Amino acid sequence: MSGFALERLVPAHVQAFEAYVPSPPDDVLRRRFGVAHLHRLNNNENPLGPPAASRAVLARWDEREAALYPQGDGWHLRRAIAGRFGLDAEQVILGNGANEVIAFVIKAFCEAGDNIVTADRTFAVYEWLASFSGIEPRLVPLRDHGFDDAALLRAIDARSRVVFLCNPNNPTGSWWDHAKLARFLDAVAGRAIVVVDEAYAEFAEAPDFPDSFALMARHPNLIVFRTFSKMWGLAGLRIGWMAAAPAVAATVRKTTISYSVNRLALEAAREAVWDEAHIAASRAQVRAARAGLGALAERLGLTMLGGIGNFAMLRLPMPDTVVHRRLMARGVMARAMTSFRYPGWLRVSFGSAPAMAAFGQALEAVLAER
Amino acid sequence: MTGDDAAPCLNLPPGPRFAAVGAEFVRGAAAILGAEPHRGDRLALIAEEVLAASPPGSGPVSLALRDRRHAMRLELGFTTADLDLAGLDQARRRDVEDLAEVGLYLAARLADQLTTHPAGAGGLRLDFDVARSYPPRRAQPPPPGLGPVQGVPVEPDDATLALLVEWAEASGAGGTAFRTPARVLDQRAAGELAALVALDARRRPLGGLFWQSFGRRLMALSGPALLLPGGAGRAALATALLHAALARLARGSIQGLVVLEAAPDMPAEAFEVVGHLPDAAGGRHPVLFRALEEDPGGIAWVPDMLRGWVAGTVRRLGLGRDIEAPPPPARATGAAMAAETDRAASRVTLRPLLAAADAAAVALGNVALFRAQGFGQFRAVLDLGQPSHAAFAEGLVQAGLAPAALIPDAAGDLLLLATPG
Repeated sequence: MSGFALERLVPAHVQAFEAYVPSPPDDVLRRRFGVAHLHRLNNNENPLGPPAASRAVLARWDEREAALYPQGDGWHLRRAIAGRFGLDAEQVILGNGANEVIAFVIKAFCEAGDNIVTADRTFAVYEWLASFSGIEPRLVPLRDHGFDDAALLRAIDARSRVVFLCNPNNPTGSWWDHAKLARFLDAVAGRAIVVVDEAYAEFAEAPDFPDSFALMARHPNLIVFRTFSKMWGLAGLRIGWMAAAPAVAATVRKTTISYSVNRLALEAAREAVWDEAHIAASRAQVRAARAGLGALAERLGLTMLGGIGNFAMLRLPMPDTVVHRRLMARGVMARAMTSFRYPGWLRVSFGSAPAMAAFGQALEAVLAER
Repeated sequence: MTGDDAAPCLNLPPGPRFAAVGAEFVRGAAAILGAEPHRGDRLALIAEEVLAASPPGSGPVSLALRDRRHAMRLELGFTTADLDLAGLDQARRRDVEDLAEVGLYLAARLADQLTTHPAGAGGLRLDFDVARSYPPRRAQPPPPGLGPVQGVPVEPDDATLALLVEWAEASGAGGTAFRTPARVLDQRAAGELAALVALDARRRPLGGLFWQSFGRRLMALSGPALLLPGGAGRAALATALLHAALARLARGSIQGLVVLEAAPDMPAEAFEVVGHLPDAAGGRHPVLFRALEEDPGGIAWVPDMLRGWVAGTVRRLGLGRDIEAPPPPARATGAAMAAETDRAASRVTLRPLLAAADAAAVALGNVALFRAQGFGQFRAVLDLGQPSHAAFAEGLVQAGLAPAALIPDAAGDLLLLATPG
């Protein structure tokens, strides 16, 4: 192996990037923190799980199918989604979770010297994927905890290729309504692709939440992301999707990885489309959990921040990373927000009633021992 | 080659034959890079001694000279880490029979700081730093009527940074990091210090915060140096500076911020106390820590004698740790520690260089040596993520050091030991 100099072969933007290290599995965490059970309130998972029809798919899964490749581009699922939203199946592209779809879009539109524009305090993967792809992420500060349309427009220049909007925003839950998104698209005027990541859109009950698929007809530079990980309770199977105008979708398709979504995910997701009863039950669960968390915040004198989505943030009187550890030691996982550039805030997913009760007790105890 | 394109480099065979060639290369390169002759001579002598002491079978030795502005760094790279570096340990008694060890001893004494790093494909790199000296000068105080704060903290230009340090020095604000503007500018130019400064409407500095590398994944925070008069505005400014620093460092490689000696205005509620260090006045001050990332738990390799203290601290801090007993070192002899000395503070900080079964005796010997030289304060830093570091603990404790702080890092907590004040 003489003469092998790894550093020489690694691009500077990859050398400069720090690999994301996921949390260890729950059994390791339980042992390390000395607890018998961990309530997962850190990943915005749906405590109701997948819809009944999807669960039935999983229950009748024939394990011999594990030996077979999936269909390469989700033929049936794309048609089911397209039918639900009045699209053509060719406008829909699937990915191994929405994260993979983000990568498809960046690869399709960006090259060295280009930039993407997004917020500084939003879902991290837009920034990360751009950074380790050698693309500059332009991070625009939030205004009043929401995406700042005017500042985003100012940040766009001739090398801006994609603007990523997270609507509703993770972690603040702030959101743009249909009119505001339409005005923004008008102002961008086709200078860049505008991605609206609607991972939590199915939790929106407000009538003026954007109908982005309708806007796509007038704005062919608009791409909409959705996921089966949040409302649909299929996070463990990793499946997300995007929709775009035909020419844009055809461009993105060039950078996609066929066969990256597994058989089980395709079938379970297909059955989930579009179970209104599951949506109604999940929204009711979120409403109840939000009310409970609000009451807890009021009792503890904490500011609560949230809008749309199955999560909210609490402002703490002590470092969030310390609270995170101490909650872990009491069997509750929540998300410390310093890494989202919200030091002193904790994001809490709306979990099951027992999990929320455990969180409330644990948080009270942690704050009491300050 | 260990240097980047800007650093002059040379590869030479190990052993005494080419030692003088290496010395002349370093002396010449140092002169071209602007080092004063006496610094060039010290660096040349280090190169000569280390080359001469390098065992014949150890492969080519790379030399690179890097201008860090506030210090000149000689990097010596070896293709193997299996070297006898015991002579670098200053506590080793000079044995006139062993010239190689004397040479390494001399090299270590000539440097202001010596650090070791693993190098690619099983190699080892020794970095010898020789500091630049700055002429003493009288700092000018800040003008009256500064403020109020305008906008968010920014990375200052050189003139603003120099002004902040100048005014902080004159007002005694911020601590020792906020002294000697030229040195601070050099540290920043070398990429070894980052600064955020709050400004008023006339773009004059009102306060600042610095951070510098502390181990692999941590930063040491200094300040804040606040130039505003007392009142609510000061606390808000300190918090704004800290939050801006946290935002700047989030989503990168840095896992946490350490404050070894907090300035009075540091917002303590934003930190946790991970231990206490003795101070020069005979008291103790808290060691503060602020994690940037969630701590998912990890392994801590802890020798029996420290297990009780570490386990208690882990519990107090709510850390998830598997506390394991370390395996004995693979090498029988040749343990070495690096020493960083601070004459002004009468302080020595020891770090393991190379573990072996004689590590305890080596640790004990290091403390004894520096005590004999008049140093009064001792610190040692053990990485609990490295099983081999535990071997030094027994000697350090025997020499009078005690656990003082546990700085959390899931990839390897740092255990800070110190002599009582």
